[in-house]
Amino acid sequence: MSRVAIVGTGQTKFSKEDDDVEKLLFESANRCIQSTNNCDSKDIEGVLVSTNNNSKYLGAILSETMGIQPKISHSIEHLCSSGTNAIISAYAYISSGLSDMILVSGAESATNPGQVLEWDKSRGTLDHPIYWGSLLTKSHKRKFQTTEEELAIVSAKNHKQAMDNPFAYSNEPRTISEVMNSKQITDDLRILDCSRSCSGSSSILLASEEKAKTFSDQPIWIAGIGQKTTSASFTKNILEEIESTRIAADSAYKMAKIESKNIHVAEVHDAFSVCELMAISELGITSNEKSGEFVRNLFNTENRMINPRGGLIGAGHPLGATGISQTIEITNQLQGKSDKRQITNAKTGLIHNMSAAGTSSSIMVLQN
Amino acid sequence: MTFFEEQLEQGIFQICYCGNCNDTIWPPNEICHTCNNKTNWKKSANFGKILEFSKKESLYFGLIEIDEGIRVLGEITSKSIPEVGQSVRMSVSFDSKPHYSFIVENN
Ligand SMILES: [Zn+2]
Repeated sequence: MSRVAIVGTGQTKFSKEDDDVEKLLFESANRCIQSTNNCDSKDIEGVLVSTNNNSKYLGAILSETMGIQPKISHSIEHLCSSGTNAIISAYAYISSGLSDMILVSGAESATNPGQVLEWDKSRGTLDHPIYWGSLLTKSHKRKFQTTEEELAIVSAKNHKQAMDNPFAYSNEPRTISEVMNSKQITDDLRILDCSRSCSGSSSILLASEEKAKTFSDQPIWIAGIGQKTTSASFTKNILEEIESTRIAADSAYKMAKIESKNIHVAEVHDAFSVCELMAISELGITSNEKSGEFVRNLFNTENRMINPRGGLIGAGHPLGATGISQTIEITNQLQGKSDKRQITNAKTGLIHNMSAAGTSSSIMVLQN
Repeated sequence: MTFFEEQLEQGIFQICYCGNCNDTIWPPNEICHTCNNKTNWKKSANFGKILEFSKKESLYFGLIEIDEGIRVLGEITSKSIPEVGQSVRMSVSFDSKPHYSFIVENN
């Protein structure tokens, strides 16, 4: 089995403007190719597109737009974690020897249809994510005595960190009290506790070990992968747990031969503020009871270890692009190219991406 | 429309179950996911318990487990603040989406 490396990255700025998904894909793919050492688009053997957009045949469309005829091209949809699922599919193509170079491009337009999962009849008319977001938050407060202030710190921290991310849709600072006094969506959710749908695209180029050193001076290796789907229905969840994350993390750590304490930097799926607290607990970075205190401490010491690019809350959430942008952030961190966001001496980083209230999770461990 | 949805429209929550496995199948499916036998229907008794709740504007909503073991999200009507574990009575309808609503018993 060949090792697999990330050798190129490219992103568009996330925005609230509605934009053509084909145009967005081309823009980030082009930037991705340009970020490599002399990679020609003709070297690409596979093009995978990750999106919840209803457009058809996007793998072939992106390939033709780039002027290439790859062996492999298709789309991948898995709601909010489409991006990491596409990267992991590309990993499988390369490690199995079916391909040496695969481009993974994800994109969404602001009016994407991915927010609501119509299939899940158990949600009734309450099918928007704010309902499960509220119930997870209420349950976390009840079980772990999490305070409104601790939840607001997640959002204030991620907005602050997004200010130094040139691709984030929001570059506005938000204080803890601004978050706590922002528009009330439900008794347990404020508008600034929610990640927002937006337009955006991100692309990543993966290569086999043999090709990696040709196209990058600093290839970043995918050392661990873990995935788990527990159901499609939110109502089957245990409210205070994200079981899929716990199981996926265990697999990823075993594959990378690491423990949670070895992680220097992580991008976690903060769809709502409470999700960051739950994720860092299920990943073993802290415990549910201490997660609020853990994030408060990060905020007070300006430690950007969790969600340095601002997470979904700060950077925006273009569903099909999110997992790829998370992966790009960790790649840049391990290359020492994160400017003001840089975590000193980061060697091992983690990406946590999930779908539909945590009914499925995908986790990757990267190393330099 | 499916049978389940037609029945919701008439105010009936039909529980899909496998007689062979003595197990509830949710979401409803014609075939049991364990033994592949054809599933059957029985009417819910329309009682359940609140697992968690919140409030949007003046409306309470929550995650309810009905007595037959199925969990759904629905609106909650209560004279006072609901409580986890409280018994509720369910009523259902269908209008492009299922609509589940619950009334807190004895208040
Ligand atoms: Zn059966």
